[in-house]
Amino acid sequence: MTQATRHAPEKPRRLDAFTLPSEPGNERLALARVAATVQSLGLDAKKLERLKTAVAEATMNAIEHGNGNRPEIPVEVEVTQDGDDIIVAITDQGGEVHAAEPGTATEEPDLVKKLDGDQSPRGWGLFLIHNMVDTMHVTTDGQRHTIWLTMRTGGAAHDERM
Amino acid sequence: MTSACEATTRVIPGAAVIELCGEVDGSAAKVLTDAYERAVTEGPETQGTVVLDFAAVEYINSTGIALIVSVLARARAERRKVVASGLSPHYREIFDITRLSDFIELFPDLDRAVSQVTHPAA
Repeated sequence: MTQATRHAPEKPRRLDAFTLPSEPGNERLALARVAATVQSLGLDAKKLERLKTAVAEATMNAIEHGNGNRPEIPVEVEVTQDGDDIIVAITDQGGEVHAAEPGTATEEPDLVKKLDGDQSPRGWGLFLIHNMVDTMHVTTDGQRHTIWLTMRTGGAAHDERM
Repeated sequence: MTSACEATTRVIPGAAVIELCGEVDGSAAKVLTDAYERAVTEGPETQGTVVLDFAAVEYINSTGIALIVSVLARARAERRKVVASGLSPHYREIFDITRLSDFIELFPDLDRAVSQVTHPAA
């Protein structure tokens, strides 16, 4: 049996880290900066657009829900490359706020219910994030609430369902 | 909140066209609502079609999607059809994921949408 040659795993490499005031609209700054950071890393155009949307939605959640639109509380954004993975971590200070929102993250948006008035027209943010990236997970450490978005530069994860 | 969205409305036989420009996010609520109001006031009295043209739209977020859902809900209640044109491939994908494209017929560009609306058998 032959075995493929394996390279030693590369250490994760931090590409960028920045903060933004929690003001509505600043998600556009986050998406533009993340897009500029990852543009040479081999994401195809489709995946880049998906990542931009996911970053914008996660940053918007952090600004509005996590930090309550309070500009003095920053949203932290960190971009890391780990092998084929691009990882964007977006952190707010709303650990308790997120913990006190039972059900909001689990209610799947249903367009028919929304059109019939049985569900709010809103509530697409987490749904979009989940559908845009290859993996998404959330961690909370006291006040710090972080959403981790991972997009693979190789392969076609998520493309098969389109 | 200042909106980075603009909308122009014009009437064609059987339909009203709303051409959107800029960013469709939460701040676009009044712009979109006012545009829809003009469209149904100036457009066909009943059961006309509303064409939403996104060719000049650079950005749509989840709150913008919510606004489009609200417009669609109102149009359905008024028995009006909504079609859309000019969406980029990325936003077409989002219309598919959210199932908006099950309820809003999508056209590549405004000319084809208008052609279909004014000459449905073509």
